[in-house]
Amino acid sequence: MSATSTMLPEYVILGTLLIAMLGIMVSRAHSTLPSWIGLLGTIGGLWATADLWSRHLKPVLLFNQSLSVDNYSLFVDFLVMIAAGSTILLGWQGEREHDEFPVLVLLSALGMMTLGMSANLITLFLGVEILSLPLYILAASHRDPLGGEAGLKYFLLGAFSSGILLFGLALIYGATGSMTFTDFATAVSSNSPILAAGLMLALVGILFKLAIVPFHMWVPDVYEGSPDAVTSFMAFGTKVGAAVILLRFLAYGFYLSPDAWGPLLGYLALLTMIVGNLVALTQTNLKRLFGYSGIGHAGFLLIGVAVHSVVGARAMLFYLLPYGLAVIGAFAIITMISNGEKNVTIHDLEGLAHKKPWAAALFIVFMLSFAGIPLTGGFIGKFYLLQAALFAHQPGLAVGLVVGTFLGLGAYLRPLQAMFRHESNEQALAGWNVNWAQIVVLVVAVVGTIGLGVYPTPVVHMVNQSANFFWLH
Amino acid sequence: MIYINWVVALAAILFTVGAIGVMFRRNPLIMFMASEMMWNAAALVFIAYAREFHDMNGQVMAFLIMGTAAAEVGIGLAIIVSVYHKRHRLDIDEISRMKG
Repeated sequence: MSATSTMLPEYVILGTLLIAMLGIMVSRAHSTLPSWIGLLGTIGGLWATADLWSRHLKPVLLFNQSLSVDNYSLFVDFLVMIAAGSTILLGWQGEREHDEFPVLVLLSALGMMTLGMSANLITLFLGVEILSLPLYILAASHRDPLGGEAGLKYFLLGAFSSGILLFGLALIYGATGSMTFTDFATAVSSNSPILAAGLMLALVGILFKLAIVPFHMWVPDVYEGSPDAVTSFMAFGTKVGAAVILLRFLAYGFYLSPDAWGPLLGYLALLTMIVGNLVALTQTNLKRLFGYSGIGHAGFLLIGVAVHSVVGARAMLFYLLPYGLAVIGAFAIITMISNGEKNVTIHDLEGLAHKKPWAAALFIVFMLSFAGIPLTGGFIGKFYLLQAALFAHQPGLAVGLVVGTFLGLGAYLRPLQAMFRHESNEQALAGWNVNWAQIVVLVVAVVGTIGLGVYPTPVVHMVNQSANFFWLH
Repeated sequence: MIYINWVVALAAILFTVGAIGVMFRRNPLIMFMASEMMWNAAALVFIAYAREFHDMNGQVMAFLIMGTAAAEVGIGLAIIVSVYHKRHRLDIDEISRMKG
């Protein structure tokens, strides 16, 4: 198989991105043409991914072993297409003043897809940067002071964390003499101090992107100041990219020395689950609340990496999907309330259950999926993570997951409680606005969330095939 | 003859100076400059080891770091200038309004 046909999803996105740029040039300002091109491109990418998946290809290494196309990378492509498509739809109206919005979203999605395929240090670094650079612009794209502040904070901490990551990668290269992940384990004895220092610095850099406590401080401010659609993209897409590269990097490069990083990641997962969900309890701004809950969910995802087993890899890959679907659904409701103008607080939800019962019912579904209540996808995901922790004889992680889930439940019940309160706030729901694009996202999110909760078998099957990469060292 | 360890030690010093600069300076421009220093320290390590191993991968990586850093400068300075236009101050503690 040639590179052109095995990397078809990436080429489709790249082509779409260039055509969308041309579309911006030929169309008048604020037209929907670039968004339509972007949306069609993500659907085309989804189709290309499904086509490649259905052919049951053997894993292919491309470009001197820098990219590995296998079921793992195809599953990541699938997740990223959902994230990018839903972001373009959520920004259909609010981001219309920024014509370049769909182009930047697709460019960032390309970085996430690169991270899914990455098999050496060069593509790891390039993937992280292609993911981050467009997001800095998107975070700063609102012309109010909060937007500038969000962009500046994200940019400075992003550049700082990339510097740490890069120095770690340089030390790993120095200790092993190779750029390819699979060479690290065998190149040198694992107790070389330079290799240990490099691994620690590289892990810090990736954990910054994944927003693990204590490297999470940028998340709430950046989420609050960014436009709603961009926040949903960060909450879903960035987590996908950072989590999958962390898993592949450790499972390919350091599978012989899991004792060097497994316990460390386990303790960080425990800390992140507890702290993220605990601080989420006190938030009143909904985007900050989702920021802290996203930190908590990053802790749950980290369990799957820390246990270092194929069961953990499957559980982590599965959990990304229900989490992402709940994120895009909840943010669709937020964009309906905010209408792209203001930050939504819990008080803005008051009376939602009386005025808009359908929207309230959907919001409840997404909150319950976040919290991990049965019959939603979040429950199945948490169940698999719990199973992974117990199979690896890590009862501490299992207990932490349960405690974090209960704390999270408290955080998600507060907005629900506000919805059923009789409104004292006359301004609540004043800017209510629905368009077809948000309806599409809501339908996809709710069908996916309930579908995963009731009949997860097809996705479990896909995830099992994706996690087979674990044995192909 | 320059030993590889000296070069790596120099890069480690540059990296530490950059990290301290990001953490303790309050002007976004200086913080950005300090983080670029961390990137360049990493590029130095890549080049030093590439010479040691007679391997081109490290040099390729150094070029990619330079290219990416240039892209990052373009975006970063644009964001810093747009924030400066609104506030007419460049102090990270004064710019910061979001808390909690």
